[in-house]
Amino acid sequence: MPLLINRAVATEDNWLLVDADNVEAHLNEDIVVPFELFAELTETLLASEGGLGVQINGDQDFDLVLQNLQRLSLVAVEFPAFTDGRGFSFARILRRSGFTGQIRAVGDVSQDRLEYMERCGFDAFAIADERFSESMVQAFGEVSVHYQGCADDERPIFRQQ
Amino acid sequence: MYQYNEQDQSLINDRVAQYRDQTRRFLAGEIPDEEFRALRLMNGLYIQRQAPMLRIAVPYGLMNSTQVRKLADITRKYDKGYAHVTTRTNIQLNWPKLEEVPDILAELAEVQMHAIQTSGNCLRNTTTDHFAGIVPDEIEDPRPWCEIIRQWTTLHPEFAYLPRKFKIAVTGGPEDRAASQVHDIGLHLVKNDAGEVGFEVLVGGGLGRTPHIGKVIREFLPQKDLLTYLEAILRVYNLNGRRDNKYKARIKILVSALGVEEFAKLVEAEWDIIRDTETRLTDEHIDRIKGFFEPQPYAADAVDGLAVLGNQLEDDAEFRVWYERNTRDHKVAGYRAVIVSLKPHLKAPGDITDVQLDVVADLADKYNFGEIRSTHDQNLVLAHVAAGDLYNLWKSLNDNNLARPNIGTLTDMIVCPGFDFCSLANAHTLNVADQINQKFDDFDYIYDIGEIKLNMSGCINACGHHHVAHIGILGVDKKGEDFYQITLGGSSREDASLGKIIGKAIPQADVADTIETILQVYVEHRAEEERFIDTVRRIGVAPFKERVYAPVN
Repeated sequence: MPLLINRAVATEDNWLLVDADNVEAHLNEDIVVPFELFAELTETLLASEGGLGVQINGDQDFDLVLQNLQRLSLVAVEFPAFTDGRGFSFARILRRSGFTGQIRAVGDVSQDRLEYMERCGFDAFAIADERFSESMVQAFGEVSVHYQGCADDERPIFRQQ
Repeated sequence: MYQYNEQDQSLINDRVAQYRDQTRRFLAGEIPDEEFRALRLMNGLYIQRQAPMLRIAVPYGLMNSTQVRKLADITRKYDKGYAHVTTRTNIQLNWPKLEEVPDILAELAEVQMHAIQTSGNCLRNTTTDHFAGIVPDEIEDPRPWCEIIRQWTTLHPEFAYLPRKFKIAVTGGPEDRAASQVHDIGLHLVKNDAGEVGFEVLVGGGLGRTPHIGKVIREFLPQKDLLTYLEAILRVYNLNGRRDNKYKARIKILVSALGVEEFAKLVEAEWDIIRDTETRLTDEHIDRIKGFFEPQPYAADAVDGLAVLGNQLEDDAEFRVWYERNTRDHKVAGYRAVIVSLKPHLKAPGDITDVQLDVVADLADKYNFGEIRSTHDQNLVLAHVAAGDLYNLWKSLNDNNLARPNIGTLTDMIVCPGFDFCSLANAHTLNVADQINQKFDDFDYIYDIGEIKLNMSGCINACGHHHVAHIGILGVDKKGEDFYQITLGGSSREDASLGKIIGKAIPQADVADTIETILQVYVEHRAEEERFIDTVRRIGVAPFKERVYAPVN
C-alpha cells in the first residue's frame, strides 16, 4: 500500500502492523498494535524495547492512547468511511498534547482530504493502491489561505504576519 | 458590508480551482460516486429530481447590487432565468449543469460570492436578523460577529466531516427574526449586569423529524471567547455525535441524550483547555471587522421627505396599504425598511426572475446605498429607504410584481420547493401554495386575520419550517397520494414553540378549506386585537381539531 510521509512518497515503511497471533514474536521491533490488543497487553507493550505505535478508530477509547503518549512513536488513526471526521479531532488533540511522533491516516484515505488531514496534524497517509497516484501530493496546499488556526499553524488569520 | 481583501479573494479562487479539478476527476471516473457526493455537497451542489441544484451562499443574507446583477446574469446564462431564496437566506439555482458548475463558481468569485459549505455535513452559512443594524432595541449589530464566524467556519479543516449538518444563527437583541432557537447553535447578543456585551449561547435546536428548541448552555460568553467556545462545542460534537444513524446524528440528539447539563460540562472542560489559545479574538480583529458595518451615510434632510410621504399616503390608498404591510421602522428618522415581497399571486414563494433581480439591484443603487438583504421568510429587504423615495420605489416594485402587500400575512408563506424539484420530498407544495393563494385572495379578509405565519414542507426534513409556524403544513405520501398534516401553535421567534398536530392528515383538495375552517374558529374565539398564535396558545388546539374533524352530515 503506497505511503506518503511529509508530502512525499515513502519508499519503505519501518513499521509492522501486528495482530494477536504474532505480537509476541515482534515485541522488540517497531510495531503498530491494534487498539484492542494494546488495551489487553498495555503493560507488556509499554515495557517492550522496540518502537511502539497504536492504531485507533473513533469508536475506541482515545484516552488510553493519550495516557501513554510518552511511550508512543506513532499513532495510526483509522478512517472507517470517507465521511467519518472523528480522526481529524483525534489528530488535533494529539498534537496539542505535545505528541511529536508520526500520526498516520489509514483506512478511507484519498486525495481530497489530505490537505485537511495535514492541517490537523497528520504527517503520514496510507493510501489504497486503486486510489493512489503520484500527482496526489499536489493536493497539499491547494488552498493557500487559512482563516483558522490548526495544528499546522495555531494562528488564525487575524494573528498571522 | 464586508469587503474581501487579497487573501479572501485568493481563498475563493483557490476553492474554485480545487472544485473544478474535483469535477474533472469525477467525470473521468477517478472519484467514486459516494465520495464526490460529499465533495459536491460541501460545495452546495445537490442532484435533484430533474436536475442538479446549486445553493449559493449569501453570508448572513447581505448582498450588494453588483452581486445581485451577477446572480441575474448567471440565471440567464446557466439556468432558466430565475433563482430561489431559501430560509437560510441563500440563493438556489434549480437547473445548472453539473459540468458547468465550476464556471458558475468562477463567475461568482468575480463578485466575492461562492457556494462553500452551503450543504453537506459541515458548518453552514451563518444567518442573522434581516433588520440587523437598523432596529432600535438591538444591543449590538450582529453582522460583524457573523463575519467573524464566517471566516472561522470557512474551510475549517477539523469540522468538515461532522456527523451531520451544523447551522449557527446570531441575533443582535431580544427580537428573533433568525429562528435562532431552532439552530444547532443560537447566539444572542446580551448585556450582563456589569454592562458588558456578550453572548447567550443556545445549543441543540433543530427541525427535521425530531424537532427541538435550543437550550441555553451558557448565559454569558465574553465576546473575545466566541470562537474558542464554538470550537469546544464543535469538538465535543464531532467526537461524540452519532454516526450510525443519520436521523440521530444532529447535535440536538446528543444534547438530549446526555442532558444539557452534562453536555455543557463536556464543553466547559474542553473550553478550559483551549480558551487562551491563539484562536481567542483580539480587539484589533473585532474592531477591523466592525469597521465594515458602519452605519450607511444617511442624509440629515431625509426627514424632510416625511411631509411629502404623508400626502402620498393620503392620496393613494394602494400605496398606503403597501406602506402599512411591507415597510418597517428604521432607527434613523426619515428612513424605512422595505420588504420586497417574493410572494406574488400564484408563483412559487421565494422565486425571483432575472429581470426582477436586475430591477432590485437598480433600485438598491438608486434608493438603498446599493445594499440588498435576503430574509429567512424568503423575501428581500431594502433596509434604508428615505421617506421621500418610498412612493417611487413602490411604483417600480409594483410594476415588477414585487410589491404584493402581504408581508406578515397568510400568503407570506415559507414553502420548500417540494416534490416538483426536490428528490427528498414526499408531496407537492407549490400547487398547495397556489390553492391557498386562490382561496385567500381577498386582502380585506387577510388583513382582518392579521399577523400569521403559515409554513409548508414537502417532507419530514422540514425545510419549510412547518413545526415553527402558527399554521404548519407537512406533506406526506399515502399510497401514492399527497396528504397534508396540520400543526398549530408553532413559532420561530423569541417565543419559540413547536406546533401541535391537530389530527390525521387531510387530502390535498381539502387543504385551503381546512385552513378556512381553522381561521373561522380563530375569528370566533379571538379576543380584541389578539393574534392567531395567541388565541391558539390560550384555547389550545382542541377547538380547532373538533371543528376540522367534525362529522359531515
